[in-house]
Amino acid sequence: MKNLLLSSFLAIFITACSFGHYKRLLPTTIETTPLKPIFGDHFNSFLFKTNITVYGKNFSGLLITKQLKPADYRVIFTTELGMKLFDFEFTDSAFILQYCVPQFNRPALLKTIQQDIEILLMNKLKTQSLQQFMDKQNKYIVYRQMEGKFSNYYFTDKNNHQLVKIEHAKRQLKKTTFALDNYSEDIPGMIQIQHHNLKLKIELALLKK
Amino acid sequence: MKKCILFLFSFCVFHTFAQVPTGFKLLKDTAAFKQKMQEQSKLINSMESNFTQEKYLSVMSEKIITKGHFNFKKVNMLRWEYTDPYKYVIAINKDKMFIKDNNKITKYDINSNKMFKSINEMMVNTVQGNLLNNKDYKPAFYENEKIYLVELTPVQKAAKDFLKNIYLYIDKTDYVVVKVKLTEPGDDYTIIDFTDRKTNQPIADEKFTIK
Repeated sequence: MKNLLLSSFLAIFITACSFGHYKRLLPTTIETTPLKPIFGDHFNSFLFKTNITVYGKNFSGLLITKQLKPADYRVIFTTELGMKLFDFEFTDSAFILQYCVPQFNRPALLKTIQQDIEILLMNKLKTQSLQQFMDKQNKYIVYRQMEGKFSNYYFTDKNNHQLVKIEHAKRQLKKTTFALDNYSEDIPGMIQIQHHNLKLKIELALLKK
Repeated sequence: MKKCILFLFSFCVFHTFAQVPTGFKLLKDTAAFKQKMQEQSKLINSMESNFTQEKYLSVMSEKIITKGHFNFKKVNMLRWEYTDPYKYVIAINKDKMFIKDNNKITKYDINSNKMFKSINEMMVNTVQGNLLNNKDYKPAFYENEKIYLVELTPVQKAAKDFLKNIYLYIDKTDYVVVKVKLTEPGDDYTIIDFTDRKTNQPIADEKFTIK
């Protein structure tokens, strides 16, 4: 009983911390460089060595992103041996599943990966206005993009304007964290996507741009 | 009516020719070729080679090129190692399969997983040229001056979902596979070119186990 009480208290405490997380952001109107999409707008392709770990199962391979039009991207995941596992197309208004092997064709998994990639492509930022914040330590400028009950918080380094973290939240509760580092020429060398309510982790290591 | 038959006939002729890959003609004596392949593969106990893998995706302007090294030893031992631009090793040792991705090693029992079993069969049989006798693929045989080309089309639906066909390019001088092309249903493909090939050189069994 004591244990139950303690764990319930801890659960409430942790949830409260996550909820409070965004309340510590302070609205700001200071002039900043506009938030730029990571993979645009040069019509380049990027190649990442990729690991997707979902409920203990590991899929490794190569993730390729290619910008086709200003707001049109193709994202393809293949195994190291060259077999295509999925092929996504993102436009400014639609998502098209071009191809998917049966082993990957699970609607909930596909939808989650699709949403993660969509957040990373930052396609919707072009058409939506963003709210701007400073964190309490005055280290990051944070841009908030809202869509219904969901928000994406883009944390950029105040000094070099590099995007270091994206947090995807439902209402005020953090659901997914994207950590970006090892930058070279404005492109992150490492991206780690960690889901907090699902056992899903996606790791991307840049091989070529 | 005559015109109609002529038209249909000409379409059939055209269709037959269209299936023959450019630069090749139909191989007539397929029985002799198959027998020679079997005889030659019996003479090979081990093989090693470098390889270059080219992945073509229709949406990309450039191919994804990866390089590596492979070792093969009878019976059923294979090490397939990517070295550039990333490190990744698949080692097959009879009924065990090892994958080393950066520094992470995972060990599998091939028989426990249908997919691994078919990857194993495909890789080992491709190297040995034994895919010709596999009932899961329908073969077609072609040749030019230097190369025998075997086109393998999967018969089963499960394989058809991700594979349109496999081309095995076989050197006419020693009957060894020098190039493999795997085409997917949407016509994206992977080409693997083997170079610096050495046969029947001693290879230690440890090469096929990752610790």
